[in-house]
Amino acid sequence: MSVPTDIGEIARRGGEFRAGGTDLMARHPAGPYVDLHDLHDLSGITWQPDGSARIGALTTVAELAGDERLRAAHPSLALTAGALATPQIRAVATVGGNLLQRNRCSYYRNPSFSCHQSGGDSCPARTGLTLYSAVIDTGPCVAPHPSSLAMALLGCDASVEVHGRAPFDVGELYGDGSDPTRDHLLGPGEILVAIDLPPPVPGERAAYHRAIARSEAEWPLVEAAARLVVSDERITFAAVAVGGVARVPLRLPEVEEALLAGETLDHAAARAATRCAPAAQNGYKVALLTGTVLEVLERAFDAARG
Amino acid sequence: MKIILNGVPTVVDAHSGDVVVDVLREGQGLTGAKAACRTGVCGACTVMVDGVPQASCLLPAAAAREREITTVEGLDHPVQRAFAVHDGLQCGYCTPGFVVEAAAFVDAWRASHGDVAPPRERIAAAMAGHLCRCGAYQGIYAAIAAACRGEHDGDAGVPARVEAMDKVTGRARYTTDVRLDGQLEGVIVRSTRAHARVTAVKVDAAHVIDLLPPDRIVRYAGQPVAAVAAPTRREALAIAEGAEIGYDPIPAALDDAPGAPVVYDEHTRKQAPSASEGLELPGPWNGNVHGPFTRASWRGRTAVKRIEAARGAADPRLVTGTFTTAVQVHTPLEPHACVARWDTGGDLHLYLSTQSVGLVAEQAAKRWNLPAERVHVTADHVGGAFGAKNGITAETIAAVELARACGAPVRVVFSRADELTDAGNRPGTRTTLELLTDDKGDLAALTVDAHGRGGVSVGSAVAVFARLMYGTAPRRLRDYDVITNEPPGTPFRGPGAPPMLWALEQAVDEVAHRRGEDPIALRRRWDGNRKRHALYDWAAALPAWAGRAAAGSQEGRFRRGIGVAAANWAYMLDPGTEIELQVEGDVVVARTTTQDIGTGIRSVIAEILRDELGLPAERVRVEIGRTGTVHGPPSIGSRTTTSVAPAVRDAARRLRERGLADGAKVVGRRRRDRRGYVTPIAVGGMALGRGFSGAVHVTEVEVDTRFGTVRPLRVWAGIAVGHIYAERLARSQCEGGIVQGIGYALYEERHVDPVTGTVLTANLDDYRIPGIGDTPEMTVHFHQDGWEHVNGRGVGVGEVSTIGVAASVGNAVHNATGWRPHDLPIRPDRLLEGMRK
Repeated sequence: MSVPTDIGEIARRGGEFRAGGTDLMARHPAGPYVDLHDLHDLSGITWQPDGSARIGALTTVAELAGDERLRAAHPSLALTAGALATPQIRAVATVGGNLLQRNRCSYYRNPSFSCHQSGGDSCPARTGLTLYSAVIDTGPCVAPHPSSLAMALLGCDASVEVHGRAPFDVGELYGDGSDPTRDHLLGPGEILVAIDLPPPVPGERAAYHRAIARSEAEWPLVEAAARLVVSDERITFAAVAVGGVARVPLRLPEVEEALLAGETLDHAAARAATRCAPAAQNGYKVALLTGTVLEVLERAFDAARG
Repeated sequence: MKIILNGVPTVVDAHSGDVVVDVLREGQGLTGAKAACRTGVCGACTVMVDGVPQASCLLPAAAAREREITTVEGLDHPVQRAFAVHDGLQCGYCTPGFVVEAAAFVDAWRASHGDVAPPRERIAAAMAGHLCRCGAYQGIYAAIAAACRGEHDGDAGVPARVEAMDKVTGRARYTTDVRLDGQLEGVIVRSTRAHARVTAVKVDAAHVIDLLPPDRIVRYAGQPVAAVAAPTRREALAIAEGAEIGYDPIPAALDDAPGAPVVYDEHTRKQAPSASEGLELPGPWNGNVHGPFTRASWRGRTAVKRIEAARGAADPRLVTGTFTTAVQVHTPLEPHACVARWDTGGDLHLYLSTQSVGLVAEQAAKRWNLPAERVHVTADHVGGAFGAKNGITAETIAAVELARACGAPVRVVFSRADELTDAGNRPGTRTTLELLTDDKGDLAALTVDAHGRGGVSVGSAVAVFARLMYGTAPRRLRDYDVITNEPPGTPFRGPGAPPMLWALEQAVDEVAHRRGEDPIALRRRWDGNRKRHALYDWAAALPAWAGRAAAGSQEGRFRRGIGVAAANWAYMLDPGTEIELQVEGDVVVARTTTQDIGTGIRSVIAEILRDELGLPAERVRVEIGRTGTVHGPPSIGSRTTTSVAPAVRDAARRLRERGLADGAKVVGRRRRDRRGYVTPIAVGGMALGRGFSGAVHVTEVEVDTRFGTVRPLRVWAGIAVGHIYAERLARSQCEGGIVQGIGYALYEERHVDPVTGTVLTANLDDYRIPGIGDTPEMTVHFHQDGWEHVNGRGVGVGEVSTIGVAASVGNAVHNATGWRPHDLPIRPDRLLEGMRK
């Protein structure tokens, strides 16, 4: 797949880049908008002979969720895609837009407040409602990272392609969460063009879970995706990523290492709690985090054993 | 830009910042798709783009270029008839979005699975992007399943409501859909401060009107300050955003601490609005605390003496507890909306989303100094109300004043943020209750202290309703309002009762639990009401009830529990209700000044007339939702059907006597009940009738102890309101009452920033109302005896069907886990914390 020739020109135009618009139009930034949807080459999944894949940034979330080959090769990603938002949103929202969407903090989204994310110099959530805040403290802003796909891709060791730059790990799109002014680290005029997935891990089984109060259509209190390979009851490969708990999506190497060392799923999941530093109202997220990690580990483990 | 709109190539005018729903509604006059939330959550704006349902409120117009857009107006699909037949709708405002999505789902399902019904979870997943505030989900499940089975490919089935086909095709016009020639759009400028004297309002607009109270003090963030008008909503919003308001800040009371700054002084207390329905509870003022109101007590001193003695003796028969409830917001899917026009003769025309057409006309005449007959109100279809759209509210004042200032019609439609901030709510409460039983296990004494928190409003009457339950044992009932600088409460479906029952019905459950007695049997002993005895017998015989496990006896992650709660409610009516019948050609036209907010009164009237006059459907027409005819009831206090239906019978009888000749005209009245009413004269069109309606809810839940979630599985509702005029519609209202009660129990909570007083839950992502997947299977049982003294033998069902639901959920959670929730909503964090203890 070639990068369309006019992407450079688009990148030079000033304004808000707009893909599906499902986040942008709910926030209504002043514009002008620069529509990307005519960059048809940025849509779709391309498979390489070694099984690795390149997902165009304008591929919709619904396409990811429904792609048979992706469901087999990278089930954690497809499962996550199928569980986020609602059918109407998934039909329109793009992978790139999902990765670069703004956070859902009700202070940031409310025009009555100014905060680090909207040009201010404070975090009103810290002195206010912390029920939904990040429970792992990485910096002045406590809005949980909004992208479920970012979490899943982090668990898949994916990398991203940005126009004009060499591919880099998806985690580097977000950094360590210490910068409270932004939800991703792309600069003005930078366009995310694709996601690169490594070849699938043979025998992998995966699970995704989203802890919410209602049955559907809610932003996660905590979410997690697990990928496991089990051989003779032993875990030989583990990747665990979580969201809803920190400023950035996180891998949990401490849990992965415990699993590979043969610890029980219970014990391994409990290690997820070690990084947590709850605020006044979100202590429950610690229990929810270990519970969610245990949930995806159990499901993936059961599936991997056949 | 060109699109293919409902099959027709169409050139549309669109800017880069436009979204498709506005292009359709404003540019093309296709008002089926509703812009109800503008954040892609509620789905009311759903259209198909190249056959795929999409949320048109977020869809950039540019993305629709050269594509095929199908709106509900262009849809011709069996699932529409299925929704009409299975009553998968009430107010109908969400219906266009639901049917567009459902059409795509049904087609895809049948193509891949054949003509079989999908599992419930598949329907829920497909409809996850749609919200119905009336809670018509059971009908929606049934409709989609039936359409998948191919049952509606032909013309089979009769719509459950006379206007159902209008609602499933997008033809039904709501106030938000009205567009008059030369119409301007108005927007309300709101305070960003919780408490301040406004010193200046600078607005860059030709037309601005003032909405401040006489003392120029704003008392909550979100309070209307001014309103502006412009040719388009976008322009009006820009002007409002650019408004510069000068504030002289006053310290704000944002909690109930005794030292909080005072919200009202002795002169301004009178302007505090009320959250109760015609129930004024006088009481002393002490700073921000209004009350107590104690007059509902009965042998209060005896009650206190007994309870103090029991406490002194550490009597195990004394059950005490403090229960809290969150602020619940009505948030009907059609927001508050008004189009106002002054005609050249000086008459005022109001197109209004209201539950009280007649009352609004009276209030408008008074406010704007007009003879009653010069105010004309139209509310053909009303997209839900639940108590929030009674009388004149801010959107009406803004539209009328702006229309006069501009010399043009003005439409004011609340945004979802307006709606969730300052359009009414059920106040939060903290209720402390003590309940003592005697040696025989009878109720010996009860005290209830309820503190309501309705922001700047008073009248959060909660404890008073404990007078209505469980006989005449001594009880001291005290109601307090704690005033804060937060948006005011408004009557909300059974005002005061859900928090009272949340406390009382769990305390009664606790008594039964401690005594080792069946909670239904205990209630049957305590409750002298014969109608409810019949409901208890019905509930006790439910196999699920008999088979329930002992409280807290289960181990393991998933635990199922069943809980019960009883409720009763006053029987109210509008005794002055009349209905006019006129024969026009061979059609009988019925008119009265009432309105259909989703309850189905239009259909009740039509059905009675067809029966009484032996006419086919096409020879009966009901014209309601307009002034200019005889008096009819506001749709508040569960009074519409019991007021109107007997008058319709009376009118039909008169017309039969008169003969159905063209031009014949009669007026029917609602004759008095036998033995009259409790209130000797009707006040404000309201009389309190004799007897109490009753409900018993039995709820089964599954608790997931890992995630702290509660899944409602089944609800059985026993309802005693006498004669049921239209079974399907009454059942729909009871089902909706259960869904709203589940929302109250598990999800709904308005959050306010504790520092600034700003409402944080100002969108439908953050304010969580139940979706279709949260809907239990529901069984409604009507006990129809016991109302022989009432003209028509039936009373209202709207409120009694919802008020006890949350308490039944609480008791079910206790039965499942052994842990009793005290605070609403039962959030995952609370359940996890409770299970940990």
